Amino acid sequence: MERGTRDEAADVHALEPEAFLEEVHSFEFWFQSVQGYLAGLSFGHRPDVHGAPLAPDERERLVTVLCNYCVGETAALEGASGLVAIAPNRLTKVFLATQVADEGRHLEVLLHRLAELGIPAPESEIERRASRSLLHFKRRLRELVESRDWEAAIFAQNVILEAMEFTVFQSHARTADLVTREVLQGIVKDERRHIGFGENELGRRLQASPHIRARIGEVKKELDHWVLESFEETLREIGVPNEERPELGRSYLEVVARLGFA
Amino acid sequence: MSTDPLLRHDDLQEAVPRQRFLLEDTGFDEVPPKYRRFYRKWRGPGDALAANEVICPVCKVVIRSTRELRPGDRVYCMPCMSRLVVVRAEDGGLEARVAY
Repeated sequence: MERGTRDEAADVHALEPEAFLEEVHSFEFWFQSVQGYLAGLSFGHRPDVHGAPLAPDERERLVTVLCNYCVGETAALEGASGLVAIAPNRLTKVFLATQVADEGRHLEVLLHRLAELGIPAPESEIERRASRSLLHFKRRLRELVESRDWEAAIFAQNVILEAMEFTVFQSHARTADLVTREVLQGIVKDERRHIGFGENELGRRLQASPHIRARIGEVKKELDHWVLESFEETLREIGVPNEERPELGRSYLEVVARLGFA
Repeated sequence: MSTDPLLRHDDLQEAVPRQRFLLEDTGFDEVPPKYRRFYRKWRGPGDALAANEVICPVCKVVIRSTRELRPGDRVYCMPCMSRLVVVRAEDGGLEARVAY
């Protein structure tokens, strides 16, 4: 690393906090970010990339996993779009609008991957293979959004669900076939924004209104079981060895610990 | 005058001057082009942090600064939209904590 001159005007760390928040919540920031890693891709992967044929049992497991990813992404798509209406200010509304676009894209590329794997009617396949615990979580998330409980819904969606997806997709991308890997790596890049938004928004809320902590704690207690069960099911399907699973679960536990729910 | 409690130290007032770094684009593509040089991917167990780098605890991206980092500095992780403060870790190194 060499010494050099400093361009103060362009130093991101010199921004005032308000300017930073304004920047990263903007549609312009989102657009320029996704352009960096999605330009040139077709349905989430390079058009000239083709995976090697999968063995029948591998394909079967992958289809089940992708169907459940679709359940999670549908939950996030419906959740984020519902949250736009109850978001407390312009910055959170605009950010959630970008998240809606991300989640819609995720669902589309996963459905397209299922079609590439020879699934003619992905929607009915998803219904047949969906995890009971994930469906329960999706239902509860919708109830929290419909009850206009901003903090609890953000916790369920952008902390619990997104943290689980971020961890599982990263792990799965390491061992997946080439096409699935590229699709998942693109999704993970979007998820970074979603988990960060959830943790920071909730962290600020908890600092400003400590009395909401008890209510969020109750939501966590209720949803933990369903999330962790669904997490275990998926890790089993993608073949993560038992000894590596606690390490993956730790990412979620670290987030809730930072928010003071350990 | 800013009311931000995590104001950056004025380099001129520090007893030991900070090392400066020229940042180059490492191919990190998750933020707009003008911000890319401030971030890089963590390359795993064989990787090491330079004096101007910390890992974001939220999304695990490496955050880079144009100057040597010291405890109390504020840094931002744009990929996950987090505001962080640099602290001295138990092992003597530097780490970043989220400042909500």
